[in-house]
Amino acid sequence: MRTLVRRMVVENWQVSSSVFDLDEQGYGTVVYQIEAKYGTFSYVLFSHYLDPENRNDRVIADQWDLTMALCEGTVDTEQLDFLRNNVPKQEAGRVDSRVLVLSRANRSARTFEYVVNELANGHQPNVDVIAEVGYLYRTTAAYGSGKLGMADWEKVRTKHRDFARPFAAEMFTCYMLRHFSMQQADYLAAQRAPNSAVFLHEDIKRYIGIGNSTGLGMAPFLINHPLLINQWIEMRETALATVVAASESGVDEATLARLDVATQRVIQHLGEIVTADERQNNANLLLREELQLLHLWLEEQGAVLASNQYVWASLTQYAEQHWHIETQEVINTLLIELYPELVDGFEEQMGVEESHQITPEMPVADLIEIIEDKYEWALAIDFSKHESTGAFWYRSQEKMEPRLGQTNIDMGMEKEMSLAVGRLVRECYDQIDSYNQARGQQNVAHFIMQNPTYSGIVARIQTMAQSHYGDIRENLVHADVLPIHLLRCKLSFFGVSKFDPRSRLWVRNTMFQGAPLISDFGKPFVDDWQFPIKPVLASR
Amino acid sequence: MKVSKNELMASLKKAFEGLGFQPGDYHNAADMVVWLETHGFDGFSRLEAALDYLNTTAPIHADLVQEDAHNSVLDGKGTSILLCGSEAIDLIRTHVTPGFSAGLELVNCYNRTFIIQRLVKAAQRNYAFVAYWRQLDYCVKVSITEGAELPEYETFTVTEVLEPQSLRVFCGADLEIIERQYAGYLEFGTLIETYSTSEMLACYQDSVEHGIEIDEALWQTLDDLVARILVESTESSRAGAGD
Repeated sequence: MRTLVRRMVVENWQVSSSVFDLDEQGYGTVVYQIEAKYGTFSYVLFSHYLDPENRNDRVIADQWDLTMALCEGTVDTEQLDFLRNNVPKQEAGRVDSRVLVLSRANRSARTFEYVVNELANGHQPNVDVIAEVGYLYRTTAAYGSGKLGMADWEKVRTKHRDFARPFAAEMFTCYMLRHFSMQQADYLAAQRAPNSAVFLHEDIKRYIGIGNSTGLGMAPFLINHPLLINQWIEMRETALATVVAASESGVDEATLARLDVATQRVIQHLGEIVTADERQNNANLLLREELQLLHLWLEEQGAVLASNQYVWASLTQYAEQHWHIETQEVINTLLIELYPELVDGFEEQMGVEESHQITPEMPVADLIEIIEDKYEWALAIDFSKHESTGAFWYRSQEKMEPRLGQTNIDMGMEKEMSLAVGRLVRECYDQIDSYNQARGQQNVAHFIMQNPTYSGIVARIQTMAQSHYGDIRENLVHADVLPIHLLRCKLSFFGVSKFDPRSRLWVRNTMFQGAPLISDFGKPFVDDWQFPIKPVLASR
Repeated sequence: MKVSKNELMASLKKAFEGLGFQPGDYHNAADMVVWLETHGFDGFSRLEAALDYLNTTAPIHADLVQEDAHNSVLDGKGTSILLCGSEAIDLIRTHVTPGFSAGLELVNCYNRTFIIQRLVKAAQRNYAFVAYWRQLDYCVKVSITEGAELPEYETFTVTEVLEPQSLRVFCGADLEIIERQYAGYLEFGTLIETYSTSEMLACYQDSVEHGIEIDEALWQTLDDLVARILVESTESSRAGAGD
């Protein structure tokens, strides 16, 4: 999100509505035309009446308040009719390779009507009410990469430079949804009370984001794309190492002061998060307490720290030894944010060619060594314990939704998805070890000839052995597995905030809260919106 | 109807899984079909032919029946290259040593055109290949230089008495060395036709830009195979995704 926003603002993307055809209820069709730096795109949106009884964020839903498509080029009447017949159906429809992203969204029952009513009555909405939710709409899916007939990622990457980074087009779709949500609120207020309605205050607009519900469907992506995940984490680690190296000769006091300000901002941000999840609340509380210690440390030691060699290395080491993992990661993020000139270039290296390949020439003994070295975590799991295989992943007949079942209780074990990497590694290791004892000096090709069912996991092991981060080092079929940790990992790379776990299987969060508006494009801006805080309105 | 490459890959992987393929196999098989179709080698019609067989039997892999330092023979036992092509190419690579190429004969196998994708993929690891087989009354020869992204594809009149369902592959570090070392095996009849790399590339670029045309009946067949790996939805299973 941050990468995309920086580009849109600096490159001054132009957004205009070529169609704005809504009725007095706010239902109808809107087409935005976007002139980005390298190309023209159309964002086509259909607003529908939705019975509140049918409002459902799950993949299995088949009706939504809004459905949208991001298309290349301009859209003529014929294409608009085609989209109108297909986009509202989402998975039940078909689009074509002119479409880059397909998405949908549902209204927030808590904020949308409230905001429209307040505006119609001539008032700005209460920021505290906005803060509790953070958005007017939440998206429940943003499909790209060729799904349902859309353009392949290869086409997007090679033809459309504006979106040539993983998930950039999907993020843009969410950003445009945010823009529409506020424009629609303004429009409806004016429809209801033409004489008294006011427009949303710009500072409140910036504080309104887009909600997102993410469920289990995202978890298999992380497991099935380990090279991409490795690349993302490697870039983050490289950025952090670059920043730590920059403190070799100490840091200036202004930088320390910026870190302190950012720390206090995060403390405030965390204090404004509302979630009913006890675990998340406790984590946020602990994080605030530990960041308060960081703030005091910076306040008291600031002048001394400035001349310390590798002060950031000292800070991250101290955090690792004394503070919780969430605090450590927030500190890492804050440090990276201090040096945009050193780290922003890494955003161009977030993509990678993904292919798992067998190295057939490798001696079997070498493969055994690799497993013992790189997959020690998998070999340490005792799969003979019932709880170690207490869960299984499967695809439901209902829209192929990934689901988590309980072993020997739920149906479908025989159709389990191949996601239990740790267990597969264990089985492969046992098989290859006994093969090696029986037929020493052989290579992997011969092992596969004898044991063809292991070719997939062998290819994964040999490929991932050349990287550091891509495999999730956890037993993903343990009875107590917490998939929301996987979801949070990927969502964090998107830049979302305000995690609100609704169960161990799905999480709500907020996107683009605090981000510049379209009216801010082309203007100077301070790129510090990553931990949004409530605005203080200058005037009402 | 048109589908995207990614969508087709996803569907094929699940369809092959529905046929009982294991993870490594369904990835490789899907890769082979998509590559052939997007490069103008009639991947879909060859897939339909393969499905007639694959739908009637559990997945079978080839057996290694003969092997020395540089040569090997595999018995495909009537299976498809979609199932045994990958292990054949993996095996022949291990027989290449500095200065020496390797030869492999795969007998009793079907859908041999799919081997092209495996050759292309292995060429990325700096191996060169020549493969040939008899197709009806002509001979197909495919060769690829080490590191190349596209192969040479030619057809010739038949001169050698080739087993109807066999495939020969030669592999080395350099195409010239292969052709010199195995010159006795690489004598072909009159050239019938070639399919140029520029035609392959144009076909591929069109599929990326506009999608891939697929017959709706075949798409439905794939959907039916995918359905085999899906689990019936119940009220309690809905809770297994977040309620």
